[in-house]
Amino acid sequence: MSAPVALRICVLGGGPAGRAALARLPGAVLIARPQATGWHAEPGILWIESAGRVRPEPFDRLLVCADEPLLLASLGCAFTEGHLVADGAGRTTVLGISAAGRVTGADSADAAARQGAAAAKALMAGSAAAPFPASLPESSGTAWLDPFDLAALLERPADPARDARLRAHGILAGPVRPARPVSLAALASFVAEAPEPHPPQLDGGELA
Amino acid sequence: MRESDVLVVGGGLHGLSAALHLALRGIRVRVLEAQQVGANASGYSAGGVRTLGRHVAEVPLALEALDRWHRITTLVGETCGFRSVGQVRVAETEAELVRLTERAAQMRALGFRHEEVVDATTLRGLLPAVAGHVVGGLIARRDGYAVPLRTTQAFGRAATAAEAEILEGVRVSDAERRDGRWILKSRDADTYAAPYLVNAAGAWGGRLARAVGEVIPLGFNAFQMLLTDSLPPFLTPVVGAAGRPLSFKQSESGHVMIGGGHKGLADLDTGQVRLDVPRLAYSARTALDLFPILRDARIVHAWAGIEGVTPDELPVIGRSAVADGLVHAFCFSGHGFALAPVIGDIVADLLLDGRTRFPIEPFAPDRFSRAATGSTPRGALMQPAG
Repeated sequence: MSAPVALRICVLGGGPAGRAALARLPGAVLIARPQATGWHAEPGILWIESAGRVRPEPFDRLLVCADEPLLLASLGCAFTEGHLVADGAGRTTVLGISAAGRVTGADSADAAARQGAAAAKALMAGSAAAPFPASLPESSGTAWLDPFDLAALLERPADPARDARLRAHGILAGPVRPARPVSLAALASFVAEAPEPHPPQLDGGELA
Repeated sequence: MRESDVLVVGGGLHGLSAALHLALRGIRVRVLEAQQVGANASGYSAGGVRTLGRHVAEVPLALEALDRWHRITTLVGETCGFRSVGQVRVAETEAELVRLTERAAQMRALGFRHEEVVDATTLRGLLPAVAGHVVGGLIARRDGYAVPLRTTQAFGRAATAAEAEILEGVRVSDAERRDGRWILKSRDADTYAAPYLVNAAGAWGGRLARAVGEVIPLGFNAFQMLLTDSLPPFLTPVVGAAGRPLSFKQSESGHVMIGGGHKGLADLDTGQVRLDVPRLAYSARTALDLFPILRDARIVHAWAGIEGVTPDELPVIGRSAVADGLVHAFCFSGHGFALAPVIGDIVADLLLDGRTRFPIEPFAPDRFSRAATGSTPRGALMQPAG
């Protein structure tokens, strides 16, 4: 019989929700600004900028306790009418991704801490995500932004209006990435040699 | 059933250029776009208007298209953000400079004069911020860039003004030729009919071709791009590298776009793309190696556009080898943006006259089945996407 494999749990955000969650998640990795910034995420990997470098932080479970709606959107988490869709334990529509704190509507430090603790408990329990409706309404608006317009918008400080426009664009064109700006030099330092290029992908699909 | 003279599948730049040129000749055109105009590579390429370094077979089309870019307002009613700032391919080693020099000689021998070798001193006059190790380059001074989404939308507006009809959100699910007409069905169960059909479906064009019995060996890529924050002006021409994939330019807004060919992964069924961070990182590294001035820049946006690619990296342009009334214009392999003003004209020629004055034999849809040796045509410098 093989030993159970420990889950790699990553907590993003060092505020009240993140601290409360971390206290209940021994062995979890904390990513918190200003020491480390989670600037991009893809399934199973959170990309970190820290000390002039970027690095991947693999995870099995991610608890987002920072106000990072773009990062959650980039992982495929659903929003409805501008709000992240999550159950009472912070579980989003994507298995293994949870959230707590301001991004799930906490309006005080105490509320954020309670949410963080509840989300951590649910993560430790290992229960599956709650069922969500297959289709959730989200205002798409008419924003269809040119990349340069998008870049100008991303340079503005985050606020609900900005993030709403970015999500509206994302509904039409796919998630806006990266979730936060990253140093070009730090990114460049990640590779020394040219990676092998991906060969063209093949398509055997049909009209459908 | 909704009737027209021509159905165009694909509301990207080439489909809209075809619609525009057909409509200007008095043809009733209907464009069927699965998503929105310019939703994929057309709206999200690097926007390079480039004759420099192209495959020999593409040079005549690229030069003709470039002339049209210089009067693009006449065609579509606005500038599309076109700026004739030149394109430069820089050599980082003497060996690369030799290759660029040989390329320029090859072009001159073929009667083309648009590419010019420049030494390190001249290059530094053009690119004051370029790294000290660069030893020279190759330039096409009339080249430049335009704004992709703005351009695609401008072609769409011009086509509409010429009375073409553009339908967005219409995904073609079936195509058949019956009684001298193409009958297309959409996922929403609408039916469209026309004697002529244009396949301008980009990376999805192979599916439409297969549906009518024509197998063209295609792949697809998700070409990645990066944008920095807005920086003080330091660069005018569009820059590529002789030895590494790179397309690099600074917009009027100060943002620097870095692209050129490093790929992510895409899903044609969902249209979703996944960025490949190590390959984005190498793009950033190339840019930083060539322009150390970027050391304090930040990347604010990254994306990828899905584009069809062929084994020889040339587009598929021509009449179908197996079906009547069908013209293909797709799979531009990451560098079709610049050709758009002329491609629509060629498509209109082929549909209405059965032939064109432009040399398109190298792009024939059946060229791969005829090339029994499997040889791959060459004759281009490294082709930066966009």
